[in-house]
Amino acid sequence: MKRLVLTLLVAATPALADDDRVPPVTDPLVLKECGECHMAFQPAFLPAHSWDRIMDTLSDHFGDDASLPADKVAAIRQVLVAGAGRERKRDRGEFTLAITRTRWFQHEHRFPERVWKDPKVLTASNCPACHRDAERGWYEED
Amino acid sequence: MSARKPPRLDLAILRLWHAVMAGGFLVAYLTGDEDTYAMHVFSGYAVLAAAAIRLVLGLLAPGGSPLRLPRPSMARTLEWMGNRRGRNPLYAWLGAAVLASVGLAAATGAVADVVVWLEDPHEALSEASLMAVFVHVGFILFVHGGKRLLARLATASAVVVALAAGQAQAADPRAAVLDHFATRARAADPAFAGFSAERGEALFRTKWAGGDERTPSCTACHTENPRRQGRNAKTGRPIEPVAVSANPKRFTDLDEVEKQFGRDCKSVLGRECTAREKGDYITFMKGQ
Repeated sequence: MKRLVLTLLVAATPALADDDRVPPVTDPLVLKECGECHMAFQPAFLPAHSWDRIMDTLSDHFGDDASLPADKVAAIRQVLVAGAGRERKRDRGEFTLAITRTRWFQHEHRFPERVWKDPKVLTASNCPACHRDAERGWYEED
Repeated sequence: MSARKPPRLDLAILRLWHAVMAGGFLVAYLTGDEDTYAMHVFSGYAVLAAAAIRLVLGLLAPGGSPLRLPRPSMARTLEWMGNRRGRNPLYAWLGAAVLASVGLAAATGAVADVVVWLEDPHEALSEASLMAVFVHVGFILFVHGGKRLLARLATASAVVVALAAGQAQAADPRAAVLDHFATRARAADPAFAGFSAERGEALFRTKWAGGDERTPSCTACHTENPRRQGRNAKTGRPIEPVAVSANPKRFTDLDEVEKQFGRDCKSVLGRECTAREKGDYITFMKGQ
């Protein structure tokens, strides 16, 4: 019994303590519209001005036309901005639209090239390829 | 037809008589079993009396009165068939048939009170007279309101068919989506003759050159087998099967369908798809 409580405590610690857990997306519209083509990334990964810019440029969304009706754009923007992360000092001033281009992301993902070439991975933005529970906000694995 | 207007009283009597006759017949017909014997006998006598009165009135009424019984005649019928002038002789024949059969049915019923073996013929005559009544009523309805009635029936059935079609569309949203594209395909090309699953399959498998190099064909994400789960060739995101058999929700929401075609056609073909191409594609996937 003691061990069970201890295990639970240890399991709960990362959520409270460090950066490996981010609040998951729960809004059904965001989950559907963003999650259709890629994982619905947690808003905490980008600062508010980046989300604003992304929602302003959906017709050219990293090369794809991801246009949505204006009412949906507004509703999604609200969720993303409300949950946006803080602006990191070293990214300040740049419009960082790609989470994978932020300095902290690159710092956390210094892997040999063969990892990125894995067909299972395909692209750096494919979080769930390695982080099995990424959709639920868990990134603690390697 | 006589130009003289029939006296109102005569017409009123004729209507009243019809009401008594029809009402009496209906009650007698419906109560033809032993539990309601008294009612059956009473209404039967009422019908018999009405038939008798009608005969007497018909014989006594002056020429031109609507109460005068039209007398069916073979010679008159043949003449009408030759020139089609005057009153349709079927009036007379059917009127006589109803009066005779109903009168006979009522008479045999009355006699069967004493002569019991007449009960079976009485029943048969009653059934026959009901048929005569139906034909008589049907004929009058057809002659007097026939065209209007048929037109109304046609309108009503058209409405029913349209409602049923609407219902079917509501019940089958994919049909509504296809209908939407069919309308547009027809507007773009008057010679449009329907969607084709073969053309849809060709669209699905063709390697286009105008779009994103990662998605040269639909199969780049949806795999060669549309019944299998696909994978977004750019993001690695799993994609539910496109084939309707494997994913019945496909192509049931027009907004979703248009959104997806809008994105994917640009990415694969490098241009928008036409309404015909979208309809062909859905038609192909419907059969997969």
